[in-house]
Amino acid sequence: MAGARTHRQKEIRRHIWIYGAITPYIVIAIFPIYWMAITALKQDADLYRMDQFPLWFHLPPTWKHFSYLFYSTNYGAWIVNTMNIAAWVAVITLLIGVPAGYALARLRIPGSENLGIAVFMTYLVPGIILFIPLARVVAMLGLQDSWWALVLVYPTITIPFCTWLLMGFFKTVPMEIEEAARVDGCGYLGALLRVVLPVSIPGILTAVIFAFTLSMQDFLYGLAFVAPGDQKPVTVGVPTELIRGDVYYWGSLMAAALMVGLPVAILYNFFLDRFIQGITGGVGK
Amino acid sequence: MTVSSSRSGPEAASPRAAAVSVPSRARSRGWFESQTSRRLAFGYLLLAPAVLYVILLVGAPFVFSLYLAMSDANVGDTSARFVGLENFRAAFESDVFYIALRNSIGFTVVAAVFKGLLGTTLAFILLQPFWGKKFVRGLVVIPFTLPISISVLGWKWMYDSQFSVINWFLSRIGVIGAYGSAGWPVWLGEPHLALAACIMVNVWRNFPFSAIVLLAGFTSVPTEILDAARVDGTSFFQRFRHVVVPMIAPILLIGFLFDTVFTLSDLGVVYLLTQGGPANATKILPVLAYQVGIQAGALGRGAAIALFLFPLLLPLMILLLRNLKRREY
Repeated sequence: MAGARTHRQKEIRRHIWIYGAITPYIVIAIFPIYWMAITALKQDADLYRMDQFPLWFHLPPTWKHFSYLFYSTNYGAWIVNTMNIAAWVAVITLLIGVPAGYALARLRIPGSENLGIAVFMTYLVPGIILFIPLARVVAMLGLQDSWWALVLVYPTITIPFCTWLLMGFFKTVPMEIEEAARVDGCGYLGALLRVVLPVSIPGILTAVIFAFTLSMQDFLYGLAFVAPGDQKPVTVGVPTELIRGDVYYWGSLMAAALMVGLPVAILYNFFLDRFIQGITGGVGK
Repeated sequence: MTVSSSRSGPEAASPRAAAVSVPSRARSRGWFESQTSRRLAFGYLLLAPAVLYVILLVGAPFVFSLYLAMSDANVGDTSARFVGLENFRAAFESDVFYIALRNSIGFTVVAAVFKGLLGTTLAFILLQPFWGKKFVRGLVVIPFTLPISISVLGWKWMYDSQFSVINWFLSRIGVIGAYGSAGWPVWLGEPHLALAACIMVNVWRNFPFSAIVLLAGFTSVPTEILDAARVDGTSFFQRFRHVVVPMIAPILLIGFLFDTVFTLSDLGVVYLLTQGGPANATKILPVLAYQVGIQAGALGRGAAIALFLFPLLLPLMILLLRNLKRREY
């Protein structure tokens, strides 16, 4: 009994130490987001004053900044653009990445390990080196004034990463079920479509999530390739169009930022370990 | 590898068949060879779209950028003349280029030190078992998962020249005077502060990444190995030095390389906070390349400046390549 109690006390003390140590990190990580959230909900009269404690409301919270976005700006259009871009990028990434990942993992192509690494390495070629020639490519194809330009270039980020991820995933699918299918008379394509793909749905979904979140992390391509205000993706439209001259509409800016940022952050959060596994080469090990 | 597993069908039967009759063996080998070539054809067919995409939209643009960098290409002017190394020479002769190069390197090094410190300490805390750890971990990685252009906006507001919440706190605890006094920091308006402000955002965004990579490294060390080392009578520090560090070093290196590549080539933070100002204090190579290449329309000049990042990035990428290969085999 006494032993149990001292054990419990020890545990409590240990937890106090740990929470004490981790709290500064949580504050550092979360404070900017809290500050954005409260800014988005404050009335302007409450926002632009310096005499009061800024981290809480002194006038009732308001949704005004949110409704302003939808009624007076292109915000709605940007969200639609982003969704369209993400959907197309995901489709292209899957159509190209799934077969490639499968071929690299399973079909024993000579040098497939090196090929896989070569494809993955292109993920690391930064946009800053490619964006000027790509601007020419985009202009040649006549896409410079629409979000289709981004549908064309974002797969250069997502295909290498997702192919690599899917390759690791296909390696974990047991060879036996594929062989069984082939013995039963499926060709290679039949085995892939009827047997391997259905059991790989979790991996494919993960690839879709990354096609979405990785294209949301881009700023450079969106900034450089899409000029018209109503064609921008939301991650570029908000910082470039909502800031006009020196007048900042901080309330609506923060509202716009959080409304897209938080869902993406939370979604990405759930798949972060997969991302880390992916880039450190440990997928499927 | 498991070559045998695929031969389990008719091929495995062929030696036995060979003992009986020669024609059957010949047929069987022909069958196997056609299977192999069919498999390879199928494989190359599946691989082709990915390879084509990468060649057309990464490889070709890269070669094209080499060409652009040696031409006087401009936006709106389709005829580009070959000018040799003129663009590189022009870059070397401009002061802004040197400032940008120095800022890029300084930014990356200073940020890496802080990310390393914050990330390592955070990883050690998150290594402990405690109640609510998953939730806490989810909270501290939010800076990394938030889209970059979104979080920079929040920081821009925190650095506001008048309503900066950072200044409000500093003023309250008496570190600085009231608004309008001489000591009131204008974060994005003073050269040294502006660079520090940009570095701070990069550190804030990426320290969770360092921590998570480190954690992934620690958890990849099998406990059996640690137990075995403990049974052999090693001390904690011996185990750490001779077992844990060698095992996690490759993962740490990969994480470090990724972070460096992304930090060196990131445009978003500086572009949205300061556009390289005040007076070029935060000008880094990506921002300079964007301003020269896209905003001023001098594609050739811009491509040349962007290419200066390549020698900085190349050794990192080669290191990474070697590391990945070693892990792969």
